[in-house]
Amino acid sequence: MENPEVLGKAGKKVVILGNEAIARGALEAGLGFSACYPGTPSSEIGITLADIAKNTRKFYYEWSSNEKVAFEACAGAAFSGVRSLTAVKHFGFNVASDSVFPVVYTGVKAGMVFVVADDPQGHSSAQSEQDSRFYSRMGMIPTLEPSNTQECKDLTKKAFEISERFELPVILRTTTMVNHSTGSVKLGAIPKPKTKGRFVKDFERYHSIKPILQKMHCVVLGKIQKMEKQYAGLNCIEGTGKTGIITSGVSYQYIRELGLKNIRLAKLTMTYPISRSFVSRFLKGLKTVIVVEELEPIVEDFVRMVAKDVNPGVRIYGKDILPRVGEFNCDIIMNAIAPVLGLRKPDFSAQDKWLKAIKIPVRKPVLCPGCPHRSTFYAVKKVLGAKPVFAGDIGCYVLGMFKPFEMQDFFLSMGASMGVTHGIEKVSNQRTVIFIGDSTFFHAGMPGLANLVYNDPKPLIVVMDNRITAMTGHQPHPGTGITAMGEKCKPIDIEAVVRSFGIKNVRTVNTYNQKELQATIKEFAGKDEIGVIISRGMCRLLYRKLMKSQGRKLPKFRINPAMSVRCAQHAKEIACPAIQREGSRVSIKEDMCWGCGLCAQIFPKGAVQPVAVGQASAKKGGKK
Amino acid sequence: MTYNVLLTGVGGEGVLVTSVIVARAALLDGHEVRGTQLHGLAQRGGSIPTHVRFGRRAHSPLIPRAQADLILGLEPIEAARVCYFAGKNRTSFIVDTYPIRPSSCNITGETYPSNESVKRMLEPFAKKMVFVDASNICREKFGNPIYGNVMAIGVALSAGMLPIKKQSLIKAIKSTVPRGLEKNMAAFKMGLEFRE
Repeated sequence: MENPEVLGKAGKKVVILGNEAIARGALEAGLGFSACYPGTPSSEIGITLADIAKNTRKFYYEWSSNEKVAFEACAGAAFSGVRSLTAVKHFGFNVASDSVFPVVYTGVKAGMVFVVADDPQGHSSAQSEQDSRFYSRMGMIPTLEPSNTQECKDLTKKAFEISERFELPVILRTTTMVNHSTGSVKLGAIPKPKTKGRFVKDFERYHSIKPILQKMHCVVLGKIQKMEKQYAGLNCIEGTGKTGIITSGVSYQYIRELGLKNIRLAKLTMTYPISRSFVSRFLKGLKTVIVVEELEPIVEDFVRMVAKDVNPGVRIYGKDILPRVGEFNCDIIMNAIAPVLGLRKPDFSAQDKWLKAIKIPVRKPVLCPGCPHRSTFYAVKKVLGAKPVFAGDIGCYVLGMFKPFEMQDFFLSMGASMGVTHGIEKVSNQRTVIFIGDSTFFHAGMPGLANLVYNDPKPLIVVMDNRITAMTGHQPHPGTGITAMGEKCKPIDIEAVVRSFGIKNVRTVNTYNQKELQATIKEFAGKDEIGVIISRGMCRLLYRKLMKSQGRKLPKFRINPAMSVRCAQHAKEIACPAIQREGSRVSIKEDMCWGCGLCAQIFPKGAVQPVAVGQASAKKGGKK
Repeated sequence: MTYNVLLTGVGGEGVLVTSVIVARAALLDGHEVRGTQLHGLAQRGGSIPTHVRFGRRAHSPLIPRAQADLILGLEPIEAARVCYFAGKNRTSFIVDTYPIRPSSCNITGETYPSNESVKRMLEPFAKKMVFVDASNICREKFGNPIYGNVMAIGVALSAGMLPIKKQSLIKAIKSTVPRGLEKNMAAFKMGLEFRE
């Protein structure tokens, strides 16, 4: 079990992660079916559910091939009367969105909760600071926003209740600081879930075509109107004063932390639909209002609109004083609102000066020791140089954007390496190389590949097949051969898929065999045709775990001190964290070496030697 | 009152596990607990600052600026990196002097600061500082530096920098790291007995 606390007894108080609390809330609501594609900051919701499903067999869980498929599977379960949940990161919503909108029209039979985790600040995302609350408005999807861990659990349960009552999917919208916050949570009871249902044919319900379409639209609007009244009580007002603050999500906790006096504080728990009567009540008698929300001025616009009718004289502050970029914290909020409240800003000028004086090396995330991607990047660069356009995609290999490789010239979204390369190829004469991971290949790479093959560009495609969805913590995908619930199944062979598209030059190569890898790259690059190399090597972290579980040890290597200086340039070219440089000398930090043997293949002959494993673990190493 | 503990280090050092021990122990003492665990790219050798707050008035998951009571740095420069949260009249530092050089240093040739210069950096932010070679001591004693974090908790407790009952910490260690418990308990005891 990842964290047994999540399955604690009803009435017990535990400290768990926001994401674990969401998973627990779903169990307390009688979850019968769940499917996700992993994406940080939402990943631990699926990880927790997968773990529990595997161990208890009380409900079904799967890692689907992408977020759209996961959402659709959950819709199918909810159509058939089984409560379902899917959780995505913000960009996962974009992937799923095509199916999300029609499900609002058809409605669901059992509760269906759609967790969407936004990532202001981009802690774990490299695409945009998307505010997914816009989707709620566009799709008319009821939306709840928890502000802490306890609410993560309670509101997930509430979301199921609302979903089932109104037969609509309900969004639980979070941000990184909620998903990855920890806190004490009081647990409730877990009922026996319903896991089997039945799809009942219903032409009027499941065919969103005109004229039924308009009727459905009216029904949804009616539901939203009703809900706005019935659930206004989820929001709350505390404190009194002529100045008001209205907020939601984690910002509410920051405001409480500040302990401001003489403030009327409103917390919006349901941010779609926002209750007009609640906001009117809040605005009455106020002279000044500050809207505190991260990212876009969604609540602010609503408050301004309502104020026009109920309190036109009120002075409203929002994005004119608070940033629209990045996430908040107590200090950012205090600095922005202190002048409005007539308070003095905290003075940190002395600290700022001292902070500036701290000069320490940055710690960029790096490919792990022994990472198969390192070997692939090295081989491609060795054969083709730095000149080709290197199309990147989403996975651990984005780290190849940094020195020394600099081999991710762009990355947009899952699978985009294929489409973007297609456009570049069509309008330029440049050589292109596409890097795409195995999980990403199944997620969104295949449509792009079909388009490439059909329309005849000739990139070299390298599928970096590490056998798993690695970056989010080792979730299986259709090529792995095991389900989320731990059952063995037949893996889909990427090479066979690629061949079935009619591509002739296809080869699966062992990532760690530099000679073979480089020879294949050279051979395929010399042809005026599309080529696909499946560079296969298991994620080293996973391999390490596997070895450990079998009681086996990874091989280790050391650098012959006499040849240490001659290795410096090579060490720079692969940037392995286990290889440390001091001055012109390089050495291998033994407890960090995971024995991939890349250095042994490419460093000057005889410079790198294997260490007898028993010997390595007994040796007390130096510090650096 | 709220007590704010910031634990930091590099992915793989056991920062998250250490924070779970502190949080569970605080809960056992009857406190409300808040905090953060940002994972992101932590596993790939990134910095990993983790906040644990306990007491009745803790709302924000993040420690507000300059309000950390204890900064437990499992790696020296990572302790220096979070000085934003430290304040001279409030913050105690415990620093494990086991350095993990960022691998970018290998490319850029950037130098890694000495313990002395890290001390100088922390000085304006620290009420008290304890430097302890916990990971190295544990590596020599147990063959694995990983126990350094539990030893550091022991150091914090005996230095009066962690207002949590010893029994609660022991219970929390037992429930959080049941595997390798003997070594963890031994490391904890070594921390309790540590004198600078």
